[in-house]
Amino acid sequence: MTTTSVKSPATRKRLVSGLIFLVISLYFLIPLGATFYWSLRGEKDVLGFEAYRKLFADTNFLPAFSESIINAVATIFLSLLIVVPTAYWVTLRLPKLRPIVEFITLLPFVIPAIVLVFGIIRLYSRPPLLLTATYDSSRVLLICVYVALSFPYMFRSVDNGLRAIDVRTLTEAAQSLGANWGTILFKVIFPNLRVALLSGALLTFAIVIGELTIALYMAQHTLGPYMANLTRSKVYEPSAMAIVAFAITWAAMGIIDFVARGSSKRMVDTE
Amino acid sequence: MPYLSISHVTKQFGDTVVVDDFNLDVEKGEFVSFLGPSGCGKTTTLRMVAGFEIPTSGKILLDGVDITDKAPNQRNVGMIFQSYALFPNMTVAQNIGFGLRVRKEPEAMIKQRVDEMISLINLEKHAHKYPYQLSGGQQQRVSLARALAIHPQVLLLDEPLSALDAKIRISLRSEIRAIQRKLGITAIFVTHDQEEALSISDRIVVMNMGEMEQVGTPFEIYNFPTTVFAANFVGTLNNANGEVVDPAKGLLTVDGVQFESATDLKSRSKGDKVKVAIRPERFSFAAEHKKANVVDATIESITFLGSVVRIQIKIGNTKFNMDTFNNPFLELPKIGSKEQVTCSKEAVLVLAE
Repeated sequence: MTTTSVKSPATRKRLVSGLIFLVISLYFLIPLGATFYWSLRGEKDVLGFEAYRKLFADTNFLPAFSESIINAVATIFLSLLIVVPTAYWVTLRLPKLRPIVEFITLLPFVIPAIVLVFGIIRLYSRPPLLLTATYDSSRVLLICVYVALSFPYMFRSVDNGLRAIDVRTLTEAAQSLGANWGTILFKVIFPNLRVALLSGALLTFAIVIGELTIALYMAQHTLGPYMANLTRSKVYEPSAMAIVAFAITWAAMGIIDFVARGSSKRMVDTE
Repeated sequence: MPYLSISHVTKQFGDTVVVDDFNLDVEKGEFVSFLGPSGCGKTTTLRMVAGFEIPTSGKILLDGVDITDKAPNQRNVGMIFQSYALFPNMTVAQNIGFGLRVRKEPEAMIKQRVDEMISLINLEKHAHKYPYQLSGGQQQRVSLARALAIHPQVLLLDEPLSALDAKIRISLRSEIRAIQRKLGITAIFVTHDQEEALSISDRIVVMNMGEMEQVGTPFEIYNFPTTVFAANFVGTLNNANGEVVDPAKGLLTVDGVQFESATDLKSRSKGDKVKVAIRPERFSFAAEHKKANVVDATIESITFLGSVVRIQIKIGNTKFNMDTFNNPFLELPKIGSKEQVTCSKEAVLVLAE
């Protein structure tokens, strides 16, 4: 009797935890499973990958996909170039500015994409800042907007990474050995922020790949508008597309996890 | 001309004066320690020599060259940090070679120098390991080798042993001192540990609240402290209030008991109140032939501390500690008994506030 009363709260706790886990898993897995199931029904009465075959055979898919990837890579590159030195300098020299920088990087969360895109179109559609005149100049503008959208993710990732290493001492050690700022950033700070940079980069990648509103209003032929268009004209391919996008995201997460495991081993006992 | 000259250096952060009119000349090959409690300005002074802080006023000259406003990477100064500050993404060999690569030295020379340094710190088997694969002591030795690899003019050590356990601390401080002597490098060592400073230094600068309290050899600092702070911070000390009786003869009284001091009291007048300090080990039981400073004392308590026996004695109404070496064949006095104790006149220190 005593044993039962001692065990029962722990057992109950385990049951409740298990139940919560199950409900949450179902919440995520049912729509995913349903989408996957739907994507397999491309052929009548047969489950198969017809929708995927059609998707990859569509002449518009690969150009849209590659354009999005190029946009994403450019966004990541620009974002890293802006965010890493900023976060580094704030950590090292201007810690009092951190709340202001954090607020600025959070603005993309506060301003809805639709408001942002109309503001940008208004601002950059007339001289002297006429950037929407051609497809290519609009694309450059789109990448710049994506860079701004990536700030909350990129800044937080980099900031967390910087907090995990003793930035000030490592910088001073490198300085005392004769290193200039460039050497410190590229040889000391960047390599030790590998996981943080990768995490920020992959989050940015995921955002850019799936972004619809801004790309649509700026008349860009990227994956977002392509998916929206697909949804209007096809039945099974949008589901296949959703699964492909989901697989890409999970692959990205897997890469972060793999790199983080290798790196966390290395970081032990260096604090 | 001194090799390193820190002249009238003051550092303010806002309205707070962290270092106030610091003056010190260090000779080539000298090992100087800055000793003091947290917040006394010792690390800030070191950081000004390293170039991480710029003095509010004053000058720092290294081998005759004014380096006061030079960036840290333009001074040829090696720095060792408490937290080792090894680059986690580099191996031991890469860490040691970093400064040489930054200087764009030829690869063959870098390899040779790295090998020399690795052998100097006896870590030949660990050259290709990452910092996380080394113990704290090994990491700090790598940090030392990295700082020395660039042939720095001055080696700066900012509490390098504080993060290590006691045994490693003692062996590593001897190792640091041996390497410093072998290479003849000028070194400044910051510590709050008096034993560390006493054991390793040619000279010690005792600091308190941004000011230099006393500069001297470990022997001078311990045996002849000039201020109450220096005396109290370094070693154990008996403090008492005294009154000058005869300045010319160095006579004073503590609770009506007369002592003779070797401290020059000529600037004092009869009746002046003074701070008197006597180290516990300077007391001994009076032998019959002793004449100076033989006073009556009551034994209050006896504490066995291993190699030392601490006896609390009462002279007049003032309690003093007296340390004697533990000798199992000598009988200790009984608690409450009256004994005659003595100390030399050099042991009776009259200190500035």
